[in-house]
Amino acid sequence: MDEKQTELKKIIMDTKTLPTLPGVINKLSALSDNDKSSVQEMARIVSSDQVLSARILRLANSPSYGFYRVSTISNAMILLGVNVVKSLAISSSIFEVMEKNSVGLWEHSLGTGVVSNMIAKKLGLPECEEIATAGLLHDIGKVIISLKCSEAEFEVRRIIDEKQIYMWEAEHEILGTDHAEVGCWLAKSWFLPDKLTEPIACHHNVEASANHRIKTSVVHMADVLIKASGFGDSGDSFVPLIQQAAWDALKLNEQIIAELVEELEDKLVEVKNFSLELQQDCDAPSP
Amino acid sequence: MQKIPLMTAKAGMILARDVFRSESEIGIPICGKDTELTDTLIARLENLKVQSVYVEGHPVWEEGDRGLDDMLRDLDSRFAKVRQDPLTAKLHDIYANYLKRSMGESGGRKTD
Repeated sequence: MDEKQTELKKIIMDTKTLPTLPGVINKLSALSDNDKSSVQEMARIVSSDQVLSARILRLANSPSYGFYRVSTISNAMILLGVNVVKSLAISSSIFEVMEKNSVGLWEHSLGTGVVSNMIAKKLGLPECEEIATAGLLHDIGKVIISLKCSEAEFEVRRIIDEKQIYMWEAEHEILGTDHAEVGCWLAKSWFLPDKLTEPIACHHNVEASANHRIKTSVVHMADVLIKASGFGDSGDSFVPLIQQAAWDALKLNEQIIAELVEELEDKLVEVKNFSLELQQDCDAPSP
Repeated sequence: MQKIPLMTAKAGMILARDVFRSESEIGIPICGKDTELTDTLIARLENLKVQSVYVEGHPVWEEGDRGLDDMLRDLDSRFAKVRQDPLTAKLHDIYANYLKRSMGESGGRKTD
């Protein structure tokens, strides 16, 4: 099993075929490490890449963040924070693949981002935007698995159908690991901050999260809620068990959950709208 | 009453709630309830970046959009693995109640 895992890690982390990071990311990282650089300077770097700018603005205007009509990169950077813009830039290449090939997973991710933000705001947590981004990225491992090991992914889907099990269980059976771990490798290789990496790595096992238990718990709960609503398609259709550790960490109760369900069902119409628009945009250029 | 994405709105539908310019329900409504939608009006709302509207009845039936009984059955199958867990079972009951309430208005069957 260990051998299989190492082998898999090698395949997945093969940098030659790993979705590349746009060149601007390096410049951006250098700037964000320097205390003296200004947001305007960073915005100028991002603006130099049109495709990237478009994607960042689109995401900043998405229901995940709830700021409507963010029209400039520097506004997006101020509103979302440099770290979020950086991770959005990093993930934009991945999401491009996802929007086109796997609308269901894209909707699941977008929905989880929206609900993560909703929970964070409701509980008055700090860094709502980071939490929303963690929600958006929590299943990034699935994208990589389907990009790199499409045959194995096919097998995974087959045994989900056959045995009616969770996707992570099927992944363990076929690959010896799961999308949370793969996502964690990827996040680490991109040097994403811990507050994003940990929710990605531990959203199925909140107790394993040591430093960012609250953020991880939010993403876990958002995942549960979005699967309960039946929105999107994350690979299997089963609601995960609500983990006691997450429930306790967030001090949840039935009342809060009932309110969240109402809010989220209301919001999902918008999310659906946003996703439909994106699909139209994607379809438009093709003949 | 049904909340629908503006993209699926069609001429002839009747607004069930006032439409506001921003997300929050403060300020002056840009279009009052009971107004019948027309293509021009829909285009105008689109220009004003309105995301969704509430319309009378349940006019939009998407593929996979079903009556209450089917929705509850789907809910049960989504929760099939976790019904024994007390916490997750709570979420199931909250969702089932929500569905019964929201579908109740549009002629869905009311059950306990």
